[in-house]
Amino acid sequence: MASTQPPAALSFPRPIFAAVSPHPFLHAHLTTAPPSKPSHALRANGRTAHDFRTPSIHTGSLTHSNGSAVVRLGNTSVVCGVRAEILKEEDVSGTAEYADAEQQRDGDDADGDDMEELDSLRLLVPNVELSTGSTPQHIPGSAPSAFAQTLVTRLRALLLSTRLVRAADLRILHAPLDTAEQDSDGAAQNQLKAYWTLYIDTFFISLDGNAFDAAWLAILAALQDTLLPRAFWDDDLEMVLCSDVPGEARRLQLRGLPVASTFAVFEGADKGADAGGDAEQQGPGSWVLSDPDAFEESVCSESVCVVVDCGTAAKGKGKGKGAVVRRMEKNGGGVVGREEMKGLVKRAVERWGVVEAVLGGNA
Amino acid sequence: MAPETELSNLHRADGSATYTHHGYSIIGAVNGPIEVPRRDELPEEATIEVNVRPAAGVGSPKDRQLETLVHNTLRSIILTRSIPRTLVQITLQIRSLPEEAASTGVNPSIAILPHLLHTSLLALLSASIPLSTILTSVLVAIPAAHTQPSTPLLSPTANDLVRAKSIKSVHVFAFSGDKKLLLNESDGVFSYEEWEEACEMAEEACCREKGGVGLAEGMDVDGQSRNLEEWLREVVKEKVAYEQRWKTAT
Repeated sequence: MASTQPPAALSFPRPIFAAVSPHPFLHAHLTTAPPSKPSHALRANGRTAHDFRTPSIHTGSLTHSNGSAVVRLGNTSVVCGVRAEILKEEDVSGTAEYADAEQQRDGDDADGDDMEELDSLRLLVPNVELSTGSTPQHIPGSAPSAFAQTLVTRLRALLLSTRLVRAADLRILHAPLDTAEQDSDGAAQNQLKAYWTLYIDTFFISLDGNAFDAAWLAILAALQDTLLPRAFWDDDLEMVLCSDVPGEARRLQLRGLPVASTFAVFEGADKGADAGGDAEQQGPGSWVLSDPDAFEESVCSESVCVVVDCGTAAKGKGKGKGAVVRRMEKNGGGVVGREEMKGLVKRAVERWGVVEAVLGGNA
Repeated sequence: MAPETELSNLHRADGSATYTHHGYSIIGAVNGPIEVPRRDELPEEATIEVNVRPAAGVGSPKDRQLETLVHNTLRSIILTRSIPRTLVQITLQIRSLPEEAASTGVNPSIAILPHLLHTSLLALLSASIPLSTILTSVLVAIPAAHTQPSTPLLSPTANDLVRAKSIKSVHVFAFSGDKKLLLNESDGVFSYEEWEEACEMAEEACCREKGGVGLAEGMDVDGQSRNLEEWLREVVKEKVAYEQRWKTAT
């Protein structure tokens, strides 16, 4: 018929374009910005390259755990529950020196080096579970994937290296009454009777990228929410008992507020195009995307994670700007160098402010 | 002391290398390109599989993390697009760790990472897998300010770390042949400036230009006057010269 339109150039609806050729799809999005304002280019999810997703945090929703948090970061949602169990002193060996260390400690010494104690006794046990259906990549019914194992190792390393939890909070001490009188120096000799062990279980309800930031934020919020009942040694029963008076329970005194920010690097020039590559450094050809979602993670091979803490620095130095970096991870490619890293640290510091406000408003 | 290496010492693998440095001893073996299981096949590139085997016991999540890091780094230098639908299998067996490794107070996965990367690269070279560039990697530790040597320690031994007592931060850097930062793992408490200084130091140790300013001073930490890239080239050159000894003799 005469009314048939001339065949249009081959075109696909959006989702099909994204599925068939993800790399050009994202590239097309990022390059359609007005040339005057290249930073205004929108990603496929409607954010600019520097936009993070605003987290929403809800704490204390699990009644059977000592502390819990639900964190939503766009379509990534994570539940974290902290469960405290008692580890009896007689079940672990070589804790005598830690009890002595307790004597020397003066109040809340921020620099107390108790990482070894937490590490060797495994008082912090993080675990990550990807629930069935949380992400299409996850095959249910199999052993924890390399991804989950890597994630849990990174979380544990960060928990220990930031010294977030004080060992002093986890010790259950006992001051025996009768020996205190016999003691010549008069001071009550505190005995270490048990430890609290924190099982930190993180459960991904749905995973749309940036698993590390979401999991870490959930752990942070859950630990802030954690309430440990007062535990004491009963001389007559010779066991540790817990008080059921809510007023006697206490919260963990966390050290600082380290916040993780993950970035993915999108290289415009398709790696497959030619191996030699006229790769100009960080030119128009590559974008560093904050807080990548699952689609972006699938097309980006290089990723950067920066963990910063501005709270402790502000106290220590008195100068407002001094942000302390607690961890930096970067792998998968060579686009981000020394100069780019500087910008990323700045972006991570900005992110810290946002997360701090969300956490603060919640507590 | 430069790392000791032996290339192609395993006869059944396509490529292999033994690497010993500062008490870390690792055997690396590479098989590839070989047939890939259907499940892992990628239509346009080669699949890379990295297995890290610890010195004692079975693999733990820590080894999975090391595997992921080595995998991501190697993926960026292996020309995976030129051997699509194949598998490159890299096995890294840790033979021994320095005695003091447990008591350094440094995350052991970070301390071993440069050695794993070097071993895997040498094994890849030995297996003639197409690579776009080489990589060199080094560990930098920044001691806490109140201890005596407050300058960053370049490629410290486990013993150095124990003697320095309190280490403020540790950094691992890996650079490609064209001086791009391929991998960075930093742990501890540090500012961006400290990180930059450590990064510069590492870059100098990995791929400093010949005849640069740093030739005379510094570098006494290791007693080595060459950078790691030159060391790597030397190792491969020796191996090639050895293999070609009949050809060159006649």
